[in-house]
Amino acid sequence: MRPLAVTGLGVVSPVGVGREALDVAFADPASAAERAFGSPSTVIDREKFPDARAAEVWGFEPKDHLGAKGHRNLDRLTKYLIVAGKGALEDAGVKAGGEFVSTLRPEAIGVCSSTAYGSLDSITELNLVAELEDPRFINPSRFPNTVINAAAGYVSIWEDLRAPNATIVDGNCGALDAVLSCETHLAHRRADAFLVGGGDVLTEPLYLAMRRIGAVADGDAKWEPGARDSKGIRMSEGAAYLMVERVAEAEARGATVRARIAGYGTAFEPPRREGNLLHASSIAVRRAVEGALRDADLAPSDIDVVASSLGGLPPFDSAELRGLTEVLGDATPIAAPKAIWGESFAGAGALAMASAVRWIEGERPGPRVRGEAPSEVRAVLVTAVGYYGNVSAVVIRA
Amino acid sequence: MGRVFVTGMGVVSSLGFGRDAYWSALVEGRSGVSEVSLFDTSNLPRSLGGEVKGFVATDYMTKAEAGRMGRCSAFSVAAARMAAEDAGLSADALAGDRTAVVVGTTMGEANVLGELQHAWIHEDSVRAAALPRYGSTLLPIHVARAFGARGMVQTLPAACAAGNYAIGFAADQIRAGRADVAITGAVEIIEKLEYCGFVRLGAMSPDRCQPFDLNRQGLILGEGASMLILESEERARARGATLLAEVGGYGLACDAHHITRPHPDGDGSIQAMRLALESSRITPDQVDHINAHGTGTSANDSVEAKVIREIFGDRELPVTSIKSMIGHCMGASSAMEALASVMTLQTGIIPPTMNYETPDPDCALHIVANEAREAKVDVVLNNALAFGGYDAVVCLARPGVLPEGTGEAR
Repeated sequence: MRPLAVTGLGVVSPVGVGREALDVAFADPASAAERAFGSPSTVIDREKFPDARAAEVWGFEPKDHLGAKGHRNLDRLTKYLIVAGKGALEDAGVKAGGEFVSTLRPEAIGVCSSTAYGSLDSITELNLVAELEDPRFINPSRFPNTVINAAAGYVSIWEDLRAPNATIVDGNCGALDAVLSCETHLAHRRADAFLVGGGDVLTEPLYLAMRRIGAVADGDAKWEPGARDSKGIRMSEGAAYLMVERVAEAEARGATVRARIAGYGTAFEPPRREGNLLHASSIAVRRAVEGALRDADLAPSDIDVVASSLGGLPPFDSAELRGLTEVLGDATPIAAPKAIWGESFAGAGALAMASAVRWIEGERPGPRVRGEAPSEVRAVLVTAVGYYGNVSAVVIRA
Repeated sequence: MGRVFVTGMGVVSSLGFGRDAYWSALVEGRSGVSEVSLFDTSNLPRSLGGEVKGFVATDYMTKAEAGRMGRCSAFSVAAARMAAEDAGLSADALAGDRTAVVVGTTMGEANVLGELQHAWIHEDSVRAAALPRYGSTLLPIHVARAFGARGMVQTLPAACAAGNYAIGFAADQIRAGRADVAITGAVEIIEKLEYCGFVRLGAMSPDRCQPFDLNRQGLILGEGASMLILESEERARARGATLLAEVGGYGLACDAHHITRPHPDGDGSIQAMRLALESSRITPDQVDHINAHGTGTSANDSVEAKVIREIFGDRELPVTSIKSMIGHCMGASSAMEALASVMTLQTGIIPPTMNYETPDPDCALHIVANEAREAKVDVVLNNALAFGGYDAVVCLARPGVLPEGTGEAR
């Protein structure tokens, strides 16, 4: 693909809001992870699940970011996405104080956003009313929030972005797939810039579902992304957007080009045994990575570090490590950003891309499950491994 | 770069299964609307829907396969298998990494989620087997697995424009060389929470859907799946496929106005239609027919009429809305309509807008009222104007009609 400029980052995460929060986390990943998982959940019922270990966007106050009014009926995912979008627009010098201040106009800015589970908290809230009271009592002003793409739709409405708005769902891989949407729509000149990324929120039903299939590491169970004896993922939430534009136009408007998105690859492998819907495939990892490198016109040795998808579920982590090693050899350092903020599905993919941009800008890649931090980061491979044999990869370079 | 063709189509609808059954019912003006049987409606003020009845998943897949998926995925796999057969493709002809699967939806496996939440709310035990069935991620995964497709697997939720988003995006990927063939379309099921939500929004008609009629009272929810096989020209010609239609360009726009109401001037919709024409490299006078979004709600139909008049003026351009027969299948609707549009190109017949009795001066269009009409149709615009101001308009045409460069990146 023709490289695309990343000119801004917006971050809403368990380690804080804004790209500076990432820098603080990379300076000391271990204590950042402690902060992310150090408090009892406000979302998961502590009486029912006393050993739950989950991260939230702690202390998130919508009014600090969105003002006092107009967001009463927005759910958490929507607020996270709006704040991440606002952050990226401001970081890119496109908006300041709520006004468009660059040559990039609202008609030319779109949104390519991913979520794995959508506005699950809205759906849950309405289902509670429908099940326990009466379906006739559900709040009609909350109902539109249950539509999967509503949260991203609100980003366009709230920030007045009038170019196309696309939501992508592909499990853990969707935020990386948003790069493909963005590249496609920019190539067709359907917009001049996109917010690219996505997010997911922590909810009790999703936590319960993951717990039931034995996928979460609660209490004192070992949680160590990349380790063979890790007991599962830790659930989390978060959102991030990258402001992405054509390089020449970004430079012409005087924007800081933080990094360039240079390649995208994706692959699906059906399960070897038909019944195993949930499965990990190193072949899919290899094919997606090879595709992204080919698309970026880079050799495996050009990659300085991997922003991996390692989350703590051994079958998936080992498939990812195997696939990466098959393509890159065993010398390329591999980092696991999810070891800081846990598994937030589309949110984690978007945060990994934002991390890659900060590493290129000089932050120290981490925490690493293999290799030492390179002295200079010129090219990062970002991977996202889904639970069904779906894998996507993106190359971000200086 | 190159042309993209529809070479096969499959559909699961309230009017029947497979494109021939569906199409003949549309041409006859039959209604797929009946009393909803999927859940209890006795405490709701509405009870009708375009429900798919008599669907037997095992007609299209093994019992084991059917047991692993929700209703929404089962519709998708069934429609995809019918489409592949219609395209003359053998069971393994869609295997490999050059096949993309791109599926639109609004809510995906909403009923599986409903089951999970029912168990969670009532603190029953959750059946572990049901857990992996939730997640809209699974719609294209089930389809890809069924065919051994190994390329991209994406779900594009774009509310009621999802079908057009998926078809347009899949065509883009083939033109960009990221795939040679795509299984694409959209799917939706009627689900209780969604049904209640539309009731609460006051958007639902008590008896029938009357697009563009003065006395229209709202939409009727429907469900179904429509899947198309799209192929690059090279691949389609190499295997001697029948080219059913060419996918031209498409237009996307975003109102950024309100989450449920269309922009009063239809700004986004006008832009989406203009972009569809422009990217197809045609002018408004080359369009022969519009398969309208036409939901039967007061707001949509008058804005859509205004938009069509803004671009096409007074000219006698036949417009129809098949939602009068199958209801509003939400995410699936524009894919169901794409299938009808291709059949119109194939047969020269425009299906009727049923229940059209009293013209609305605010909707001064040339509606194909109550009876199918024969017409020479080379180019169709398929409209989808959705919640959140998601507008998507796809151009479909008889092979050989659209100019060089149609739908290509600029």
